[in-house]
Amino acid sequence: MPSIDFVTQVGLTHYLVLSALIFSVGVAGVLLRKNAIVLLMSVELMLNSVNLTFVAFSKYSGKLEGNIMVFFVMTIAAAEAAVGLALVVSIFKRFKEVNIRFFEHLKG
Amino acid sequence: MTADAVLFWILAAITLAAALTVVLVTNPVYSALSLVMTMVGISALFVTLNAYFIAGVQLIVYAGAVMVLFVMVLMLFDLKHELQAFTQGKVSGAIKIGVVGMLSGLIVGAILMSSGTSTVPAVAAEGDQTKALGKILFSQYLFGFEALGVLLLVVAVGAVALSRSKGGTHAKH
Repeated sequence: MPSIDFVTQVGLTHYLVLSALIFSVGVAGVLLRKNAIVLLMSVELMLNSVNLTFVAFSKYSGKLEGNIMVFFVMTIAAAEAAVGLALVVSIFKRFKEVNIRFFEHLKG
Repeated sequence: MTADAVLFWILAAITLAAALTVVLVTNPVYSALSLVMTMVGISALFVTLNAYFIAGVQLIVYAGAVMVLFVMVLMLFDLKHELQAFTQGKVSGAIKIGVVGMLSGLIVGAILMSSGTSTVPAVAAEGDQTKALGKILFSQYLFGFEALGVLLLVVAVGAVALSRSKGGTHAKH
């Protein structure tokens, strides 16, 4: 399957496979790590890979809507990081550690 | 081997290696550093896809603002001596890695087997894509844009209120 054509002719498939791999790395980070901040970083990784998919489809279909969606996703990701880090700060104030284990004690 | 292909393979290798480093390194500060590297790599990939405006926004918003937030919170805590970076349990860890491998295998297999994705020719995007993007954003998607503004205001107030509350989530009184 990986012929010489696959190496020299970069197309939509390449970008999709790359973003799928980055997404899987992000999923692995969310599942395997215990530090809440690294967990948030892995979520950012996943969002970034999805953005790459949007932009690749936007280019190869000639429509600009994909770029608009990336713009929205970026804003939502920034908001999500701000709220997540605020939660981490309040967890750290109480437990002096940011282990994800302590998030089961969350209450208002 | 065109210059496009060489550029893509180099950027893909850098981005994927940096993404793996984020997950595998135990020191969170190094994780943040390689996350910045990943963001810059993805921004460069956006440039190869002719999305110049999105590439700039990616650099400013992600590699700039969001990462400053992450690094500031990291520096606020003393996390150098992280006792346990990964979840414990060999069996559950193996199951998790297996599930992730299966997921990525499924996605990649579906992409490679789907007909027609490799033969789609790139639509030639004429130079000034940013202008067209702005026109769509401020006419067709104006409501979404305004809603995002309101959301950002709510999130800013909420984040400040959350992190200023005395005693965090377990206020003693």
